[in-house]
Order: sequence, then structure tokens, then C-alpha cells
Amino acid sequence: MHVKEVMRRRSDLRRLLLVVGTVLAAIFLSQSPAAQAPSACPGESSLFHPCALGRAKSYQPPRTPDGKPDLQGFWRGVPSGTENVEEHPKTDDDDGGKSLIVDPADGRIPYQPWAKGRQAENRGTYIEPNVPCFPSGVPRSLYVPTQIEILQSPGYVLILFERAHTYRIIPTTPQPHVGSSIAMWMGDSRGKWESNTLVVDVTNQNGKTWFDQAGNFHSARAVMTERFTLIDSNTIHYQVTIDDPSIYTRAWTMAFPMRRNTQKGFRLLEEACHEGERNTDPLIRAGQQIYPGISADK
Amino acid sequence: MTKRAMATLRIQEQGRLRKLRNVSTVARRTSLLVVACVASTLVVQPSAQRATSPAQAPAERPDLQGIWQVLNTAAWDIQDHAGGRFPGLPARFSVPAGQGVVEGNDIPYMPWALEQKRKNYENRMTADPEAQCYLPGVPRIAYMPYPFQIFQLPDRVVILYEYLHTIREIFTDGSGHPDLPVEFWMGDSRGRWEGNSLVVDVRLFTDQTWFDRAGNFHSEQLHVIERYTRTGPDHLQYEVTIEDPKVFTRPWKMQMPMYRRHESNSQILEFECYAYAREGSDATTK
Repeated sequence: MHVKEVMRRRSDLRRLLLVVGTVLAAIFLSQSPAAQAPSACPGESSLFHPCALGRAKSYQPPRTPDGKPDLQGFWRGVPSGTENVEEHPKTDDDDGGKSLIVDPADGRIPYQPWAKGRQAENRGTYIEPNVPCFPSGVPRSLYVPTQIEILQSPGYVLILFERAHTYRIIPTTPQPHVGSSIAMWMGDSRGKWESNTLVVDVTNQNGKTWFDQAGNFHSARAVMTERFTLIDSNTIHYQVTIDDPSIYTRAWTMAFPMRRNTQKGFRLLEEACHEGERNTDPLIRAGQQIYPGISADK
Repeated sequence: MTKRAMATLRIQEQGRLRKLRNVSTVARRTSLLVVACVASTLVVQPSAQRATSPAQAPAERPDLQGIWQVLNTAAWDIQDHAGGRFPGLPARFSVPAGQGVVEGNDIPYMPWALEQKRKNYENRMTADPEAQCYLPGVPRIAYMPYPFQIFQLPDRVVILYEYLHTIREIFTDGSGHPDLPVEFWMGDSRGRWEGNSLVVDVRLFTDQTWFDRAGNFHSEQLHVIERYTRTGPDHLQYEVTIEDPKVFTRPWKMQMPMYRRHESNSQILEFECYAYAREGSDATTK
């Protein structure tokens, strides 16, 4: 009964977060007519991705004073991804959603056979790493229901996340990654501009973050290659290719729209997540464990 | 979720936001996450406390950008202090002796507050909010033993701290503090440029943060004025004025230099305190 109670509470928390996320999304969409304009590419990844690739060829983005495409502003990814990046039905816990995966074409993560079993085990054994307010990592930070602010300064792109106050500092001048023993929740990002696209290599993961609440995972050896491209004034085409030969049979790619929040006077606020967090201890007492991650040397 | 249900939720949460100041600390802390989410949907109205000067051109401003860190013992104790054992820690993690950063060394506590500070000191091993890995507040974040990076944009200065991925956006666009009954662990920061300095007015704090590991503390009426002055190619002078009519008999000041991190590969990494607290056998103890 205790376990049940805890599970119910966790379910309640998820539902509350989803409700809040849904409210935010609804408010944002209602105030961002441009994002819903008929000419915008459809939101579903399998339709959005080819549409966005086409738009990217002709769209000329506004530029910063130093001549780089101007990605600055407030953005939101596709929040259903945080339930499960693969297609998943509506249930008591989930709102349901289409797959964010555009390659392979079946929309499934190409796990090695042992790793597919591990994903199911993750969900049953371990506490979802976002419950204790751990940083969502890359790429989950881009689609977890939260507000995202992109800022640019010569030589840098900054991405600030309202959820549990994390950030990424992405240098866009050539410099090597930090040493391979340095593992980080948000990884180590190195960016460069390729035509109108910001391309970011992310290494030095700690392997403790999940892609979603379904336990989809990678190891600390994963290398993520992200591409941020403006395809109209209010939409970024975000793509991320995940390469981790220790877990998958091949590299795979997610793509989805990041839509601009055009609300005037908007700013990020402080989400003091850990400071009020009370769900983790009961889950540990109920027998669930902190996810240990898969380090680079395993 | 129906539209009607969503609207009801939003109204309820806004009501909770308005009542934030009246609820108990515990309730306030549990509601912070929700409050923050809801507050983020509100348009923040600039208040009447508008700065008089318009935003200046970047060319007139001193360049504060780079990775900086203090080199002192203020994180342990902002006042003069002897070296010695910290309760509960092995001897190699003892407190280093240090000269204080408080002007005149005395902190003008009211009598009740001096007694509270003494109790805080006695219980510092567990009572210090840092022991729970909570956001450390301002100015404490500035002199914790971790680097931070300053970015200057046309309308704001952004400081990103290695400790807990803490973000400060200091708006320099002439806007005032939000007219919302809300409290922030890191306060609300509004800046202006004065000669060679960035002056930051910080308000809307919680009463949950301390100044150091020695129990120096404040209330939710804390008002901090920070002054960052570029004094050389590799130095900032950091001056802080502290006001809190509930705790102190008068305003008081701290100052210290901040040093540029000069390693050719210097960059901000991570110090994810509360994640570390979940590693190992004490995972439930926080």
C-alpha cells in the first residue's frame, strides 16, 4: 500500500507537471498567432522534418550585429517527448504523442537487443532522474516542458532553461572538448556556424540522464550532434543525432519544432526545484533507486 | 484537460501566488515549483522604480566579461576568524583562518538577531542552507569557491555560476523590480552602469539563505546593492551594501577583489551539489 501511495503521488506529480506544461503551451499558442499560421510546418516530427529542411533552403534569418543568424528569444520544444520520445498512447500518466524520431523511419530507437530490455528495467527499478530535479541533460532539456531562452554574445550561444535553472554555454570559436574523464549532466558543448545553422557537438555526458520518463537512455560515451536552424521568424528546426555504439545498432536522429514565445515582457523566472522537492525520499523508501547511469568506462 | 479546467487551475495558482507572502515558510517552499511555473506565464510589469537614465551604448561600458573567482575565505566566514575544525568533517577539511571581508569587521545585528546568529553558528553543520544544497542567494553566490562567467548583452548582464548551474539575469534596460508578491532564492536583479562600475539593486529575497557557513543571516527584507568595478585587466573590485531593517540596526558593507581565471582552457564546469547528495549510501538524507 505504501508503494501504491508513492506511485500515486508520483503519478499526481507527473500529472501536475503535465497540466502546468499544457497550460503553458496553451497560453503560449494562444498568444503566438504566427506559430499557428497556416504556412507554418506541421508539428508532428515525421511531417515537420522534411517540410523544415525545405524551408531552411530559402529562409534568410535576421542577424546579430556580428553577422550570425539571430536565434535569440524564448522557445519551447515538443513536451510530449518528455513522456516518451517514441510514439506512445494516452494513458493515466501520459497525454500521448507521436515519435520525435525521424531516422530510422519507423520512429523507434535502434537499441541493441540487451539495451531494449534495460529500458524496460529502468522504468521499473529507478527513479526518473527528473524527479529529484537533476539537470535534464541534452537533448531532453530542449523538449522537457519548460521555458527556454537563447542569448548570443560574440563567440558564444547561451541556452538558459527555466526548469531547475540549468544552462548551456556553447562557445562558437574552435576549441577542444574538456578531458574525457570530465563527465557532466549537461555535457560539454562546442558550436560552429554552418551557413545559417548552429551545429553543436556534445560530449562528456555523465550517462545519468534519460531521454524521457519511459527510461530511454544512453551512456556517457554518447556523442550528440545538434543542428539549430531558423525556418521562419518563429520556428527553429531542431535536430539531434545520437551516436552511442555501446547502446544502439546505429546512430539515430530526432527532429522537432521549437516554437517562439512572443509574449511581450516575458522573462525567465527561478524554478527552485530541489528546494521544495519531496517525492524522491518516499520513492527511495519504497525501494526505488537513484539511477546510477552508464559511465564511459563500463 | 478541458479548457475550463485549465482556466480554473491557472486562476487558483494565481491566487496562491498572490497569497505567497502570507503562507508559512514550509508551505511556501513546497509551492515554489508550481508558483515559479505559473509566475513564468505572467507578464512582468515594470514597477514605478524606473531608473532615470536610459540604457547606455555598449561602448561607454566597462568590459566585465570573462571567468572570475574570488580568492578568500568568505565562504567559511565573512568576518575575521581563526582556523579550526569544522564539526563533522575530517581535519583535512578544517576551516582556514581568514581575514574578514566586512568593513570594520562588525555586523550590526539587533540583539535578537545576534542571538540567532550564535545559534546558527552552533548548528551550522546542519542548519546552513548550503548543507541542503539550496540556492545560496546573493551575495553568498559571489564568494563561494567556484568560478562564474559574466556575459554583457545590450539590455542585461548574465552571470552563470558553476555552483548548481545558478543563473542571474541582471536587467540593465532601465526596468524596475517586478510588482509581484513573489520571492526568489537569488532575488530580482536590476542593474545600471555608473562610470567604470556595474551597480546592481537586488530585492525580493526569501529568508532562507545565509551569508556564509558561520551562520550570518538575513530576513526576507534583505536589500543588496552590488558594485562590480573593473580595476585592471584581470581584476574586479566587488563591493556590497547590505540593508535589512528586520535584522540589522544600520546598513553595512563588504568588499573583496575578484580574479580572472587565466588558464588557457578555463571554462565553467558543474558543481551539482544536490545530485552529489544522492550518490552513495546517504541518498535519502539529502
